[in-house]
Amino acid sequence: MSVGTASTEAAAPPAEVAPPAEAASRTGNAVRRRARRTRLLVLLTQLALLAVLLGLWEYATYADRQAAFMFGRPTAIFGFLVTMASDGSLFRDTWVTGMETVLGFVVGNVLGTVLGLALWYSPFVSRVVSPFVVALGSIPIIALAPMVIIWFGTGLASKIAMATLSVVVVALVTSYKGATSVDPDQINLMRTLGARKWQIFNRLVVPASLTDIFAGLKLTVGFALIGAIIGEFMSSSEGLGHAIFKAGSLYIIPKVLASLVATIALALALTFVVGKLEKRLMPWRRDL
Amino acid sequence: MIMSGSATGTAPKLSARNLAMTFDDGTTRVPVIGDVSFDLHAGEIVAIVGPSGCGKTTMLNVISGLLAPTGGEVAWNVEMAHRRPRIGYMLQKDLLFPWRTAKANVMLGMEIRRNTGAEAHNKARALLDQLGLHGFADHYPSTLSGGMRQRVALARTLIHDPEVLLFDEPFAALDFQTKLLIESDTVRLVRSEGRALLLITHDIEEAVSMADRVIVLTGRPTRIRSTYTIDLHPGAAGDRNDMIAAREAPGFSAYVKQIWRDLDVGRERAA
Ligand SMILES: Nc1ncnc2c1ncn2[C@@H]1O[C@H](COP(=O)(O)OP(=O)(O)OP(=O)(O)O)[C@@H](O)[C@H]1O
Ligand SMILES: [Mg+2]
Repeated sequence: MSVGTASTEAAAPPAEVAPPAEAASRTGNAVRRRARRTRLLVLLTQLALLAVLLGLWEYATYADRQAAFMFGRPTAIFGFLVTMASDGSLFRDTWVTGMETVLGFVVGNVLGTVLGLALWYSPFVSRVVSPFVVALGSIPIIALAPMVIIWFGTGLASKIAMATLSVVVVALVTSYKGATSVDPDQINLMRTLGARKWQIFNRLVVPASLTDIFAGLKLTVGFALIGAIIGEFMSSSEGLGHAIFKAGSLYIIPKVLASLVATIALALALTFVVGKLEKRLMPWRRDL
Repeated sequence: MIMSGSATGTAPKLSARNLAMTFDDGTTRVPVIGDVSFDLHAGEIVAIVGPSGCGKTTMLNVISGLLAPTGGEVAWNVEMAHRRPRIGYMLQKDLLFPWRTAKANVMLGMEIRRNTGAEAHNKARALLDQLGLHGFADHYPSTLSGGMRQRVALARTLIHDPEVLLFDEPFAALDFQTKLLIESDTVRLVRSEGRALLLITHDIEEAVSMADRVIVLTGRPTRIRSTYTIDLHPGAAGDRNDMIAAREAPGFSAYVKQIWRDLDVGRERAA
C-alpha cells in the first residue's frame, strides 16, 4: 500500500514549517527563565505578606492578655506546634485525618467519576436520575453525620464515609459535564471511522473529560477534608478534628489554631499532589 | 442506503439519487434538501458550492451515513472496511485530539480498525513526511500551527486509503498561501491514487481550481442550480495539480464569474 507519489520535489516544504529543534529551544530557555523569575517573585511576595500579617497579629496581642486569649498569638501557636510535634500528637493526628481524607477522596471520586462517565452511555438513564442527583447534592453533609455514625460506628469507617459523601456528588456532576461536553463533530469523526460506542467512550469521552475530572478533584480535596473533620467532631479519639474539638471545649484557642495550621498544611499538601498528578496525566496541556 | 460490495470499473463510486432531507422535531418541519442527484467517479474531484445555510453540511452528513435521508438514496460502489464503506471525512475544524501526538492522531482510524502493526506506523510517518511535517510526528496539536494541524487531519483521513473523500470546507480557516499549498497536496494525493473527492466549499476559486466538476446549489430547500465541467488548460508546462497554474489558466476567471452570478441569483430569490 503506497500513499501516493506526491509532493517530494514538486511541493516545496510549506513556509510555515520551521526546523523544530534548535531555534525553538533557544527561545524556550528564555521563556522558562522568565517564568521561573516570576514564580520566585510571587512566592517572595506571598511570604512577605504572611510575615507582615503575623507581625501585626503578634503586635496587637502582645500586651493585651484579653485579646491574646480570644484570638491567640502567633508565638503561642508556634509554641503549641512545637509541643505537639515533640509529643508526637501533631503527626499522629495529621496522619489519621490525612488517611481518612485520602481514602474518602479516592472512594468518593472513583465512585462519582465512574457513575458520571457511565451516564454518558444512556441519555435516558441520565435524565431519569438527574433530579435525584440534584436532591442528593443539596443535602448539607453535616446533617448526615448522626446517621453515618449510627451506620458506620465511631471508628475510621464513619470518617471515611463522611469524606466520601462530601465528594461523590461533585465528582459525579463534574465528570458527567465533561463527558457530555465532548464535541459532537469529534464523535461523528469516530463514527465515520467505524468506531463502536465503547471505542468512542474509551478513546474520546474519557480523555476529553480529564480536564473537568481534575477540576472536580481539586475542588473535592477540600470537601473530603471537611467531611473527615466533621466526622471527627461528632465522635472520635484522634485526628485533627478531634484535637480542634478538644482544645476548643477547653478554651485553648492557640491550640485550636495550631491544629488548624496543621489542617491547612494537609490541605495544601494534598492539593499539591493532585496538581502534580494532573500535570503527569495530561502532558499535552501546556498551561499546567 | 444501498451498498454493493463488489467494485466494478465504470460505475460511479458514489451515486446520490433524489436525495431529500427534512428536519422534523414534531412541531416544525424544516425542508433542507429538496432533490439532489449526482454521481462521483473514481479519480474525480467534484466541488459543491451553494449559498450559506443551504444544506451542504447536511448533505455531507447524509452521504457519510451520519444522518438518514428522508427521501432518495445514497449508493456506494466501494469496498467495505470494518463495517463501513472506505470513505474519509474532513471538516473545517481539524478535530484533532489534543491528548494525542500528531502521529497518534493519524493512527486513530487504524487503532479503531485494530491495524496497529509496524506497517501502519511507518505509513503514518510517511504520510506526515509527505505533507511536510517531517520531525513533527511526536508533537502535540497545541504546538502546531493551523495549517500544520489541518495537514495532520488530512493524513488521518488518507491513512486507510479511502476510495471516496468527503470534505466540508476543510481549508476555509487557513491563510491564502497555506491554503494553496495544501490544496495542491490534496489534489495530488487524490488524483495519483485514483480516489474520488467530494469537496464542499465557499470559495469559488478553490472549487474551480481543484475540481473537474462544480455543482452549484440553490438556497433552502436546496436543489442543483447548475453544473459546470471545468476544462482548464494551464500552459504547456502547467500541471493540472498546481493550484497557482490553474488560477492563471485561460478560462479560469470566466468560470468563477459565471458561478458567482449563479450564486447571486440564488441569493436574490431567497431574499
Ligand atoms: N438537526 C437540525 N434540525 C433542524 N434544522 C437543522 C438541523 N441541522 C441543520 N438544520 C438547518 O438546516 C439548514 C442547513 O444547514 P447546513 O449546516 O447543512 O448548511 P450549510 O449549507 O452547510 O451552511 P454553511 O454554508 O453555513 O456551512 C440550516 O438552516 C440549519 O438551521
Ligand atoms: Mg456547512
